[in-house]
Amino acid sequence: MDHEMLILKIPSVAAELVIERGDASGLRCENVFLPNECSPLNFSSSNVERLKSGLEEYVLKHRNSLNNKCDSCFCSREKLKISSGVASSMESHRSPGLIVEAVIAISELPESLCFRSSGNKTEVLHFKDFSPSSVSIASLNALTSIDWRSYGLTLVSAVDQVDHALIEWESLPPYLHIDMVIHCYHKQYPGKYKYQPDRHLIKKGVKLALDDLKEKHTGLLLSAHAVKICSYAPDLASSIAGIILSSNDLKFRSKCSTLLELSQSQAIGKQTVEDRIKEKIISVIETNDRKPEKIKEAAPFLFEDDRPQDLDPADLYLEEHAGGGNVFSFPD
Amino acid sequence: MDDLSKSSMKFFSDQQLCFADILLPHEVQARIQVAVLNFLKILSSPDPEISDLPLINRKSSNSRVSEGILTDVSWIFLSHSFCSRSLMKANATKAFIRVWKVMEMCFEFLTQEKRVTQRELFYKLLCDSPHYFSSQLQVNRTIQDVVALLRCSRYSLGIMASSKGLVAGRILLQEPNQEAVDCSACGSSGYAISGDLNLLESLIMKTDARYIVVVEKHAIFQRLAEDHVFNQIPSILLTAKGYPDIATRFLLHRMSRAFPDLPILALVDWNPAGLAILSTYKFGSIGMGLEAYRYACNVKWLGLRGDDLQLIPQQSLAPLKPRDLQIARSLISSTTLQDNYRQELAVMMQSGQRAEIEALYSNGYDYLGKYLAKKIVQANYI
Repeated sequence: MDHEMLILKIPSVAAELVIERGDASGLRCENVFLPNECSPLNFSSSNVERLKSGLEEYVLKHRNSLNNKCDSCFCSREKLKISSGVASSMESHRSPGLIVEAVIAISELPESLCFRSSGNKTEVLHFKDFSPSSVSIASLNALTSIDWRSYGLTLVSAVDQVDHALIEWESLPPYLHIDMVIHCYHKQYPGKYKYQPDRHLIKKGVKLALDDLKEKHTGLLLSAHAVKICSYAPDLASSIAGIILSSNDLKFRSKCSTLLELSQSQAIGKQTVEDRIKEKIISVIETNDRKPEKIKEAAPFLFEDDRPQDLDPADLYLEEHAGGGNVFSFPD
Repeated sequence: MDDLSKSSMKFFSDQQLCFADILLPHEVQARIQVAVLNFLKILSSPDPEISDLPLINRKSSNSRVSEGILTDVSWIFLSHSFCSRSLMKANATKAFIRVWKVMEMCFEFLTQEKRVTQRELFYKLLCDSPHYFSSQLQVNRTIQDVVALLRCSRYSLGIMASSKGLVAGRILLQEPNQEAVDCSACGSSGYAISGDLNLLESLIMKTDARYIVVVEKHAIFQRLAEDHVFNQIPSILLTAKGYPDIATRFLLHRMSRAFPDLPILALVDWNPAGLAILSTYKFGSIGMGLEAYRYACNVKWLGLRGDDLQLIPQQSLAPLKPRDLQIARSLISSTTLQDNYRQELAVMMQSGQRAEIEALYSNGYDYLGKYLAKKIVQANYI
């Protein structure tokens, strides 16, 4: 609990602890007043900023099992991507003034000795009114009702493990770890206010955090659909580059170079052109994947690969007579 | 379609007509280049997208019939309804990329001034991109997509029609600067119809025949040619060895224009596939609707027909296969089928049976020639 409590990073709570433990061993005070190496917070930082900073440290210190950030695992800033979402209930809501803060951290780590691999699992830590809390049914429902596939994730289960919710994912990339924290409170805290956790608000908070991550980091949390389409980008780029480079029309090639922001030098090879086109295609796919109205996976559509639509007698004849391997049995 | 068609009154259908241009290689390349430039422009624009490919819809819903008022020829054509191929639609991504791959390959061939057959193109694509092309059918369909995208004929893309058809009989065919070929002296194998439409266009034709007989099957064509049936009744025999290919249709059409007084008679099996073949010569097809409309001819149905069944033994009738029924359904829904053809089709369906022309051999091997002659002389064709 201590380890988790640190995530909230509430200076006022830390002060209380010190007063109570006036004659405690220095060690505890030291823990409380440990300078924040990872990201400086000033006193006026918002709650969610603190929460974010807290989770960041928690992850960097391998769930606060270390005193300092683990440099071997997190050798560069890029290894940890973190974002937050805040949802608050409207005045018209049956429980106005509720706030849900969600922070998500994604770390890309190789298998390392110092880190106990959590495999395909994420512990979702919960706080209520600035204290660690148990997991509510509303929270579990919120987590299971999110469309994870649009973030490239598949949720297998979300279970209550008393002090946290445990999410199991289907096949995360082996180096990827997800940490999450959800904090619900009333804006009038520390005023006494009774309320029920709100499933919709929690869902909204988590989604905002996910969308924020996607927005800030191109290519992260790509939907399964986008990942699949991206895999075709090299072949498409190759075809288009092929046409450009086999043309004898210099004006055409020059226009293409301009559009692709390549130099006008004649010596540009196919690989350069192909790579540029591929970059642009992937970039468009990734950008469009972030937009709310994404193209959903189509239901059986007119242009499925192998299904004939209108029956063309030519095709039926072909199928019937092609068996003989006779070149001349192909019509047209 | 020339003189006669031009003089017939076609007001509204012309506006609806969508067709593939017959272009020179550099013109086709220019169209492909435009497609690339447009794609790159949209890809690099401030609001970038991966553009879809708009194709003329090759479905019966986009097909229309032109009924010539002053001519006997009706033909199917396609109108301006579009559908699109998109990279982003799941299950359709590969089809989208296939169109680009075929365009790339055609572009290269056009630069090298080469012509290829669909079969050669299939093998080349199979080697280059095995992940995308697995059958000849897929290649053929993708080629039609490219035709529908660029609106140029398949031949303009550098793809030769297959050399499938044969001609025999009382006609002289002369390629420029070559000796004339007498098709009545070609033996049972006949004169092979080239897949090169330019060459077919340049053929000089002379005939003293009174009829043109289009035969569905190679074996029947061979039998008739061997027996010199075309001398007994002065005629020209033509076959595409099954479903008509563009080159055979092209040549038949040329003959019908050059020799407009010669009735064109079809000899097909008594089954829906046979009728489908006849309809294709007669009206064109939807599959190649952007081009095929040019080559429709006024073909009449000589045989086998329902009233010929009395000439063949009962045991030579076979049950209709599921594929036959599929074809029949497709024919019934077609707007071009005339009433008497519909009736024949109805009899086929009701009886659930089919019969091949070869069944006539039960009356003797020379019976076929006699059958043909009798029917022609009696003008027993519809």
